[in-house]
Amino acid sequence: MAEPEFRSSVTTLTATPAGAPALTDESALTKASVRAQVGASPLGVDFTRTAKRDGVLIAAIRPDEWLLLGSANDVEALLATARFDASVNRIDITHSRLCLRLTGARSASALEKVCSLDFDDTMFPDGATGSASVAKVSSDLIRDDIDGEPSYLLLADRSFGQYLYDAIHDATTEFADAL
Amino acid sequence: MLLVPCPHCGPRNSADMSYRGEASSRPDPASTTPAQWRDYLYMEHNPAGWLRENWYCSSGCRRFFTVERHTVTSEFREPPLPGSKTALPLSKTAEAGAGTDQQGGEK
Amino acid sequence: MIRRLEPQSGEVIDRESPLKFTWNSKKYVGYAGDTIVSALLANNRQVFSRSMKYHRPRGVLTADYWDPNTTVQVGTEPNVRGAHRLLEADMKVSAQNAWPSLDFDIKAANGLFGRFLTAGFYYKTFIKPQRLWPLYEKVLARFAPGGVVDLNTPHGYHDKRYAHPDVVVAGGGPAGLAAAISAAKAGMSVMLVEQNHRLGGHLRWGTDQDRETADDLEESARDAGVEILTDSAVTGRYDDNWIAISQRDHPGVVERLIKARAKTLVVAAGLVERPYVFSGNDLPGVMLSGAVRRLINMYAVRPGNRAVVLTANAEGDAAVADLERAGVEVARVVDARAGETISKAAGSSKQLGSVTLADGSTVKADLLVTAAGWTAPTSLLNMSGDRPSYDPAAARFFPTALPDNVIATGGLVGDGSLDELIAHGISSGELAAQRAAAVKHRLRSTVTRAQNPQGPEPPVQPDRRIGLSRAPHPELYRSDTHGMVDFSEDVSSKDLVSAAAEGFDSVELVKRFTTATMGPSQGKLETVNTVAVLAEARGETIEEVGTTVWRPPYAPISLGALAGRVFEPVRVSSLHEWHTAHNMTPILAGQWIRPEHYGDPGAEVTNVRTNVGIIDVTPLGKLDLRGPDVPKLLNLLYTNKWSKLPVGRVRYGMMCAEDGVVLDDGVTGRLGEDHYLMTTTSSGAGQIWQWVEMWLQTEHPDWQVHVTPVTTGLTSINIAGPKSRELLMRLVDDVDLSAEAFEYMNVRTGTIAGVPDCFMWRIGFTGELSFEVHVPAGFGLHVWEQLIEKGADLGIGPFGLEAQRIMRLEKGHFIVGQDTDGLTKAPTTGLRALIKLDKDDFAGKPELEWALAPEAPELPVLVAITPTDPRLVPDEACQILREGTTEIVGRITSSRFSPSLQRSICLGQVTPEFAAAGTTLTVRLCDGSDATAKVMEHHAHFDPEGVRLRG
Repeated sequence: MAEPEFRSSVTTLTATPAGAPALTDESALTKASVRAQVGASPLGVDFTRTAKRDGVLIAAIRPDEWLLLGSANDVEALLATARFDASVNRIDITHSRLCLRLTGARSASALEKVCSLDFDDTMFPDGATGSASVAKVSSDLIRDDIDGEPSYLLLADRSFGQYLYDAIHDATTEFADAL
Repeated sequence: MLLVPCPHCGPRNSADMSYRGEASSRPDPASTTPAQWRDYLYMEHNPAGWLRENWYCSSGCRRFFTVERHTVTSEFREPPLPGSKTALPLSKTAEAGAGTDQQGGEK
Repeated sequence: MIRRLEPQSGEVIDRESPLKFTWNSKKYVGYAGDTIVSALLANNRQVFSRSMKYHRPRGVLTADYWDPNTTVQVGTEPNVRGAHRLLEADMKVSAQNAWPSLDFDIKAANGLFGRFLTAGFYYKTFIKPQRLWPLYEKVLARFAPGGVVDLNTPHGYHDKRYAHPDVVVAGGGPAGLAAAISAAKAGMSVMLVEQNHRLGGHLRWGTDQDRETADDLEESARDAGVEILTDSAVTGRYDDNWIAISQRDHPGVVERLIKARAKTLVVAAGLVERPYVFSGNDLPGVMLSGAVRRLINMYAVRPGNRAVVLTANAEGDAAVADLERAGVEVARVVDARAGETISKAAGSSKQLGSVTLADGSTVKADLLVTAAGWTAPTSLLNMSGDRPSYDPAAARFFPTALPDNVIATGGLVGDGSLDELIAHGISSGELAAQRAAAVKHRLRSTVTRAQNPQGPEPPVQPDRRIGLSRAPHPELYRSDTHGMVDFSEDVSSKDLVSAAAEGFDSVELVKRFTTATMGPSQGKLETVNTVAVLAEARGETIEEVGTTVWRPPYAPISLGALAGRVFEPVRVSSLHEWHTAHNMTPILAGQWIRPEHYGDPGAEVTNVRTNVGIIDVTPLGKLDLRGPDVPKLLNLLYTNKWSKLPVGRVRYGMMCAEDGVVLDDGVTGRLGEDHYLMTTTSSGAGQIWQWVEMWLQTEHPDWQVHVTPVTTGLTSINIAGPKSRELLMRLVDDVDLSAEAFEYMNVRTGTIAGVPDCFMWRIGFTGELSFEVHVPAGFGLHVWEQLIEKGADLGIGPFGLEAQRIMRLEKGHFIVGQDTDGLTKAPTTGLRALIKLDKDDFAGKPELEWALAPEAPELPVLVAITPTDPRLVPDEACQILREGTTEIVGRITSSRFSPSLQRSICLGQVTPEFAAAGTTLTVRLCDGSDATAKVMEHHAHFDPEGVRLRG
């Protein structure tokens, strides 16, 4: 029998034109959701903030939800060592959410074409999270700069994968050098 | 477009929210009369002035909350309060991405 | 180009770049930088359109964006503003609203009968007899103004973006530029929006020194980092400074709509020159002073040969100087400030010939220039809640009270020297910056994700600007004759006077009755004249009459820009590629693209009933529920009882809204001690998630339940048919699938085709032995392909939605929203046993209690129906009538031809009187004929005992 192989919902990738923000598919990352009561802080990260711990990105995407993003081993290890009280639940949402990453100097400008949030550095700084409609799909956004270069992770319902990828890719094309 | 003060996110576009109508409290189902219950179901008081109303931060933190808004000036009176229940669900066409379809046809 | 002047110092045309174009199929040449109209005028073309009602020939009036007479068709694009749109090589331009041609227009006969076409003529004439309206409509449509829409025009690339500038400045004249520069220098992000192609406003058609100032300001604005949008307009201001901007200078995009949340808005819209009302004021050759100045100074076009100038202000005087410099003979200057005026203009139908002055003398002229004053385009201020007030001494309206986040500057607020205008702009920009800083501070302190600002919130700065003075100006609206007030709608001052005589006593009603101010210039040219004429007719002041309210949009936006890039999210399951590769006929179900069938739905049904089939049911709503209080939640949401559901079991439930109407249904399984999986209908998935969250958050915040939507996290596959167990056993090692170990309505967790953590439950929507498996979506395709491969010898085939719908109808299972509607209360479904009124509480319980009380009127009943003619499939929604009458007693809610029974089958709702088994029903078909049908004993037409299902 063939070995099961993880398949992303983004099935067709398009090359990024030179100079435009780069859009990559990181849906294969393990994603875990940690749920607690509003006001609780099971991981010590406040709503709309992120932290990095042992290779895992912890993003407080809702007042009662923390998203853990990383390799399967790292996420598992972190969850194994975390001490949660009985009211906390953890749910694997690797297969429920697609994950795209948009990187580049003009990525905020590209996002402004599909999302009404204010992506100014003071309003959406590195390490912040926000949820909003992106091209009419409810999405979670995480600012996660790479070596000082602006970078955003975007998570949304898996079934929108190809649609969202195409919509965001289209928004980036005007920032290519050729134009 | 109005900026609605979400108690968790801060001010947000009203398009990020679902308006859930006037705040009311659910009568005790064990003792309610048809008149009370139907007032809860259907009646809006629609004052020209301060109104307590429910919002759902559907594109953001997904919390329900109640605020006071002046229906003439659209000014909000802070702070917002925890949400109260409304009688009927959102229409089926409300949200993209929340997994809503108009027609699916199987169980 | 016989009217082209020698090079002018401020001209915007490039004489090195001639451009060929056609006008009504004739060839002409203009220059790059020309507008369509300046190029045509240079070629001595003076008539550009026919007026809307009377089809009078019309020439240039304002020579800018607001010109009502120069709307043209460019190729397939209708309604192009010819005095604004720049000329392009090989443009094909033609006149609109002229039939058969601009020179000979049959409908100009309307002009002869003009006295019959007074205000309200169409309303009054064509209302009776009503049966003739289709005929009237056909004829009148030919008379309607506007260009020709080519329905095959490709949809151009439009765009949309959001923006959060600190300051938006509407208007790039000297005051607006100065405001933008000073706000940017104060550290603000500034967006400057100008309607014309160049910044500088009136400086562009002024003196050399004016232009130098404009160039300097423009350079400073660029240096200060101002984002400059030309050929663009702020079209609306909404709550909390939500600003709509239509941008037409973005490369590669036809038009782009920007939705900006500005912290402050500076309105520097300038002033719009106002026409003067007199007989003959719409003859070609009658122009406003601004038109003449633009034509001479920017486009080097001689506007006429012999001119009379009526001047009431410095612009009129400057026009005289420009005309003389351009070699136009100025036959007479009529100075309104000295009490002089003109009475009327006359000429041939296509050209002004003479002007009669108020003193009765007549002057021969082919050009009449009027400088009669200004209209303050206060639209954006109106949209900010302001009601401008009229100042008779300055003969225009001024703003009164604005919200803190809207600041007006420039000609809107007063007059003064250029230095004074710039100084006012600078102080307005500073004020805008200070107030924007306060808003920004507040946003940074209240938007949770933002960086907290330093220090306390700066107070809102009071307005300490030194105001602009108001230059005195004569009130000059109408001469002693009647003339055109609204050029685009052909409304004359006489029409307004008759409207007043007919008793229309509100300016808003007069507007709608006469359509004055309702044309393409939307009041920019005609509002104040309308008010002035009305005031005169009623013996009131302009202030007493008041103005109409200016609403968005300030300037037209194309529908393409409003649509923007079209975002229509579509969802697909992880099996979509497989379906596409295997002959799927897709159906759009909400946002989902799903297989309706793979070629032959009837054969798919038969294959499920005889062998085994698989269907992709991923869109089925799925909610992961965790926590000790889940049973309480389920008891509250469903009408039946959930407290004692054992681990490993699933149960069907029905949900109602608080009005007792069926909201959704589905099965919920208990996967672990505190872990459940709830399924909803596909269409209800999003709604039910919010419904559950609302109950938890508002009524029972103390309950410990976490809800996670996992609809697409799990690829859901229903394996149905007598051979389904045999097939699944080939792929599952760690779960005992035997009938004894895994009974109907049970759930197990196990590994399928090497994929762990799959849920499988035995349910039966199709009526066959079936297993619904829920597989982590990243491995969904793997499991599906394994099922197809391992089931080949069992006759496996995929089936689509249509086959499933047929099978569920054969089994009599209702679909919420199909067989129920927004009035269907739970007892109608026949599932009375699932409504547990002995529970303390559940959603909708009081209504159901009252509905089921003995004295309550009986509810409609859902029944299975078979038409007498087994080949007849009545359309869904066909009405059921009381025989021999038109009284509606029910309707068909679902109908199909059953491949299993080889006959037509239905579900329907009927009144209780018609619900008994064996009752004969009369069904009114779509073609108007009636058919008979019979009520069945059970909902299930097929295998009513459920032997196959439980096998």
